[in-house]
Amino acid sequence: MSSLSARILDVFNEPGCAKNADKSEADRKKGCTKQPKPGSAAGGCAFDGAKIALQPFTDVAHLVHGPIACEGNSWDNRGAASSGASIWRTGFTTDMNETDIVFGGEKRLYKAIREILAKYDPAAIFVYQTCIPAMIGDDINAVCKAASRKFGKPVIPVNSPGFVGSKNLGNKLAGQALLDHVIGTEEPDYTTPCDINLIGEYNLSGELWQVKPLLDELGIRILSCISGDGKYREVASSHRARAAMLVCSKSMINVARKMQERYAIPFFEGSFYGIQDSSDALRNIARVLVARGAPEDLIGRTEVVIAREEARAWAKIGSYRPRLAGKRALLITGGVKSWSVLAALQEAGLELVGTSVKKSTKEDKERIKQRMGQDAHMIDDMAPRDIYKMLKGAKADIMLSGGKSQFVALKAAMPWLDINQERSHAYMGYLGIVNLVAEIDKALFNPMWEQLRRPAPWDGIAKHGHPNPMVLAQTDGQAAEPPALLEVSRRAKRVCLCNTVDRGTIEDAIRLHGLTSVDSVRLHTNAFGGCCRSRIQDILRAMSGSQPPAMQQAAE
Amino acid sequence: MTQNAEHVLDHVELFRGPEYQQMLANKKKMFENAQDPAEVERIREWSKTPEYREKNFAREALTINPAKACQPLGAVFASVGFEGTLPFVHGSQGCVAYYRSHLSRHFKEPSSCVSSSMTEDAAVFGGLNNMTDGLANSYNMYKPKMIAVSTTCMAEVIGDDLNAFIKTSKEKGSVPQHFDVPFAHTPAFVGSHITGYDNALKGILEHFWDGKAGTAPKLERAPNEKINFIGGFDGYTVGNTREIKRIFDLMDVQYTILADNSDVFDTPTDGEFRMYDGGTTLEDAANAVHAKATISAQQWCTEKTLAFIAGHGQEVLAFNHPVGVSATDELLMALSRISGKEIPEALARERGRLVDAMADSSAHIHGKKFAIYGDPDLCYGLTAFLLELGAEPVHVLSTNGNKAWHDKMQALFASSPFGQNCHAYPGRDLWHMRSLLFTEPVDFLIGNTHGKYLERDTGTPLIRIGFPIFDRHHHHRSPVWGYQGGMNVLVKILDKIFDEIDRKTSVAGTDYSFDIIR
Repeated sequence: MSSLSARILDVFNEPGCAKNADKSEADRKKGCTKQPKPGSAAGGCAFDGAKIALQPFTDVAHLVHGPIACEGNSWDNRGAASSGASIWRTGFTTDMNETDIVFGGEKRLYKAIREILAKYDPAAIFVYQTCIPAMIGDDINAVCKAASRKFGKPVIPVNSPGFVGSKNLGNKLAGQALLDHVIGTEEPDYTTPCDINLIGEYNLSGELWQVKPLLDELGIRILSCISGDGKYREVASSHRARAAMLVCSKSMINVARKMQERYAIPFFEGSFYGIQDSSDALRNIARVLVARGAPEDLIGRTEVVIAREEARAWAKIGSYRPRLAGKRALLITGGVKSWSVLAALQEAGLELVGTSVKKSTKEDKERIKQRMGQDAHMIDDMAPRDIYKMLKGAKADIMLSGGKSQFVALKAAMPWLDINQERSHAYMGYLGIVNLVAEIDKALFNPMWEQLRRPAPWDGIAKHGHPNPMVLAQTDGQAAEPPALLEVSRRAKRVCLCNTVDRGTIEDAIRLHGLTSVDSVRLHTNAFGGCCRSRIQDILRAMSGSQPPAMQQAAE
Repeated sequence: MTQNAEHVLDHVELFRGPEYQQMLANKKKMFENAQDPAEVERIREWSKTPEYREKNFAREALTINPAKACQPLGAVFASVGFEGTLPFVHGSQGCVAYYRSHLSRHFKEPSSCVSSSMTEDAAVFGGLNNMTDGLANSYNMYKPKMIAVSTTCMAEVIGDDLNAFIKTSKEKGSVPQHFDVPFAHTPAFVGSHITGYDNALKGILEHFWDGKAGTAPKLERAPNEKINFIGGFDGYTVGNTREIKRIFDLMDVQYTILADNSDVFDTPTDGEFRMYDGGTTLEDAANAVHAKATISAQQWCTEKTLAFIAGHGQEVLAFNHPVGVSATDELLMALSRISGKEIPEALARERGRLVDAMADSSAHIHGKKFAIYGDPDLCYGLTAFLLELGAEPVHVLSTNGNKAWHDKMQALFASSPFGQNCHAYPGRDLWHMRSLLFTEPVDFLIGNTHGKYLERDTGTPLIRIGFPIFDRHHHHRSPVWGYQGGMNVLVKILDKIFDEIDRKTSVAGTDYSFDIIR
């Protein structure tokens, strides 16, 4: 355990992290993640963080050492796309039982490793430590080492049991495992002056592939992507890259910084979310590569590609801007996405009413301020109740967030779009932003929301068989009449004589559907005779002034 | 030789084997005088073009793959909804065998129905003898409480007069004088099965209410608090009728379901064969005249019946296969208004749940294009629900839809931004639909079992909603009406959408987008 806690301290002490660098000596020792507050809802654990960071390595068997809880609830829950191997999807676990816990699970782990190698022969095995074996003292480092030696295959311990902290810490411990055991252990077949690493990019819904053709066109080779659609051999030889782009700064900054220290690979932080960011990212890649010896013309060629792609994307987005302009969005997400998605949304004409900065660094926040202006509404940690209030108060027209907040948005009858890992659309790059805008457009104009906001129609109309006097007072100006009598008279007045439709039926239909034309009334009431047009018009005129605004809106 | 007694294969697998494939190939080569495959392919491709579509839509005389059936099928369907009632179709027995098999194959239940088995001499000399003998035989053999007579074309063409024939038969002692034998003329060359439903139901009500063909005094209407409900011709009658009863009970409304065939098409297997089961009692059928109002779930199935009922002084109200939130809202509010009963919290919660479910997954339906075919009311109800979900029902086709249906459909399209590019096609058939699917493709097709050939031909995934559904079992047991029914339809549509995503992404040798979370 001492080595694990030392390692955690080391991970916490991240000079590359601006937020951490700002802290006092004492605070820095405490670490960068708040301990979860007992009794309050919390996010995923360190194990989960480590697992999701590494799982997109596709030719690796991911073996979870622990009871069924950890893998049983989480296997194959990552929408990262693989261009080849599928072993990463298979759920491997030692499924520890009572006996293992009493006598120790190391042997079982060793056997499990042997069985995976015999059955599947993957490029490597990543072994994930979980709470229970960590507590009983299973030494996975030793087991992995022994297995590695015995079987001649890389068996990598990922020491990140859930109890050590948050998901984010788990991301970093996963990165540490790569640094300790994987990176620099193999050599690439060949190198080029245009080799880069992408760090913290997970190829969700295959979105990296929307960018890759541009890199290919420019002759830039992704030597290794950590970890989206990654291969073991690629990451093992990633130390030969000329430069690196850090995509998700929160999850793997330690990997980028230490690779800079160890192998002198310069890195920059960038994002492919949004047009401006994509262009900046491409420019930066070209710049750092040229600085490290790539042909000078790369910069010029990059500009040509940027100009072409931007023009194309703008042309596509242009058609949406009139529809989306002025719509207010609330962005609840963490890390890199808050400022990069923000830029994308602004490009589509949306107004941002707020963005969460729960996981954002000081630098992130600065960027947000730049984008949104000084009065940016930054939300540090928003409880579902407060999100609900904000949406319910109609301060936003749409919420973009991870899947967990979806149901809050829906209960508040608010359009919602998933922009975290469970989403099923690819939003990266120039094409991605067009996708995102198309999806926002679809979400905003989905007729469901109208339906969702409308109360059950009978709430305002008939209770106990009588019309609600309040409603009638608003609409008819006849509230003096007792409701029961009024209802009788409403029903007695035949408006459509041919099909015997009474005034009450027509009024209810107008109110229920927010109707504004004679034809729509006829559609809903069967008042199809020839002579009632003018009478229906009169009713419409009498009622039009008094409809509740929501209804009018719905009708338009 | 190729079939092995130790391991017998059924036709699904057997004829895919190499020996049979060889045999079929040889036959084609040596005996079928086949056309040049390239030429066949050229014509096939041509038949997918707008040019062909134009010719197809110019068709005048020929109907190809009709999405409708004939009047007596609807008459039989309505008749079995009355207590102990034997449908008796006056005409040729072959027709009746079709109705029985049609209903049996859909409901997976026996379907009892007899015919007067007219032959050539009956066609020449009139079918009176067949009627007389037929009534006597079926009365004695099957012990019905009522025999509901309808007709096939054969009897109609020679002009057999059911009223007179039944009277004469009774005089000849086929059945007792006071035994109920309502009738309806249901020629197949007019309308479709929904017309037959309408005629048969009207015939039965007329019989009880208007003096049993002159043999009893007409009933005097003494209005009470009950509400009559008519389901119309509906492949989901088992689930829907039960759902409607549940809603009536929840609202504490007194009601009579007219032509309640939910039990006879869903009899339990407990060792007893029920030729008749459940149904509207004859007493209730007669007393339905006193009801406050009659609600029909399907306008186009009950045009004549509702006019007849309205003529007796009741309020009548027709819906169009109410699927989805708004349609159910309207139904419940009408019920509430007529009965003076409040809509209970239980139903309000069901409404909330359906809205919730729609919100959870509507992003998957929103923006998808659909083609629908079926009976006019079903088409209308499904279209309204799809528009509610933000889908575009681009082609809505009803072989038995008429001009009025077309106008009402177009008005419905006009009421929604999602209906702007949608069209209703009355009187068209599935070969027209094929042209539509090729020239203006959609994402999904909604229709009955016959749509599977369109699915194979055009590659448009089929969502099976309608009648008949022969190749999937038991869906008729679940409602499509009410909020719970809306939920079922929503799930059916979503299942197909997700199946389709899985199918498209389940490609050998690739590992992306075939995800467990959708």
